[in-house]
Amino acid sequence: MAITRPNLLTNAIARQKYADGVNLLKREFTGPTTKSLGIPGPSRSVSTYDLFVVWHHTAMTTMTPPTQGDRNAAHRGPVFCPWHRFMLRQLELNLQRVLNDNTFGLPYWDWAADGQKPSSQQKTSSIWASDAMGGSGNPVKTGPFRLNSADPKSFRIRIEADVDGTLIQRSHGLRRAIGTTVSTLPNKADTTAVLTLTPYDVSPWDTTSSGFRNRAEGWASPGAPALHNRVHVWVGGDMLPSSSPNDPIFYMNHCNVDRIWEAWLMKYGRHYVPPQSAPTFLKGHRINDQMSSLVSAPMRPTDVLDMRSIYVYDSLSV
Amino acid sequence: MATSRTTVHPTPKSIASYVRKNAKHVKKSQRHKHQSSESVREADYKGHHIVVRTHYEIEVDGRVVMGHMGVSNDGQVHYHPVPNLSFASAVDLVKQLIEIFPDDFGSRGHRMHRKKANTTRHGHMHM
Repeated sequence: MAITRPNLLTNAIARQKYADGVNLLKREFTGPTTKSLGIPGPSRSVSTYDLFVVWHHTAMTTMTPPTQGDRNAAHRGPVFCPWHRFMLRQLELNLQRVLNDNTFGLPYWDWAADGQKPSSQQKTSSIWASDAMGGSGNPVKTGPFRLNSADPKSFRIRIEADVDGTLIQRSHGLRRAIGTTVSTLPNKADTTAVLTLTPYDVSPWDTTSSGFRNRAEGWASPGAPALHNRVHVWVGGDMLPSSSPNDPIFYMNHCNVDRIWEAWLMKYGRHYVPPQSAPTFLKGHRINDQMSSLVSAPMRPTDVLDMRSIYVYDSLSV
Repeated sequence: MATSRTTVHPTPKSIASYVRKNAKHVKKSQRHKHQSSESVREADYKGHHIVVRTHYEIEVDGRVVMGHMGVSNDGQVHYHPVPNLSFASAVDLVKQLIEIFPDDFGSRGHRMHRKKANTTRHGHMHM
């Protein structure tokens, strides 16, 4: 039976479980070390949660193909939606494991609902309350991911990308600069508009493409950064570099993007392009290509096109 | 149709095993830095093939910035370590890098010179 992914703001139990699960994964060490991953500095164990940070960064720095500098193995091309669906599912499975609850469904943040409010109220939405994701700051001082410098087990950023695009070791509290770089979230007009776009993606299969994917990812004009990208930029701080899964809100953003994609799939059919017959310069983005993996066996876009037997959303009203 | 791979629960042992197997990809991404970036744009127009090569070398207070900068066909400049933003101007992009990576640039006005590393003639540096 499929599990249900709930709205974070209307399900206090899911909220609490998500925070508990993230903190458990942050304290779980299965063997990989910074040394075994080529991250400079003293060799330290890397937590399961931080392995997802490493995975995201690695996919993002894997260019597809290596001869160009736009599309990578998870972004700026067709694989954006299926790769993040793969990543979300792997996190969900790990959260179920450490929570010992196979019914747990990853919650989503309906950021377009908050985007309907005046910009000043967007910053004080209940998602940033102490009993939800905590607030803004350097470091964040409220909520389940706040820094308690006296507690070595407190939530800390341990691995992040530096300005040169290299993973390095750090030890600091979570950073957010909510509403600083851009002042507003995407709103319902944006999410309604993206659902009118077909096909899923189209040549040149990059950040200049028309179609659903490029608009949902947030590159298409007008208004860029838009939708997914805009949420990263609006939250700011640790949500900006390629190590953005460091902020647990990353998954709530992407779960909502996945919900929007699911609404699109329900509306237009479970179609994905490019097909496997597409030229090899699209390797990594075609329907049967293996997607970048780190913590599990790889998957293909075709494997995740219909997840209704695994999970459903409590609402597809985006 | 969802496959069995979407339902198999991981174990600490399986995670360690897959990470061991895939660590080479992480290590590879860690080795590749650029003292300069070349962006190649290609397009076809009325039977003609267009190639535009743009070369960037960036320094802030003498510190060489070594991530990859690219230009998309609409002229927007992007920088790989900042995956959600693009800019009309490379200078605006670098200003934003200073905001996003304060730990890498020191305090205001503090000049951070780095010893230049050996580079290939294409400007790639292998660490």
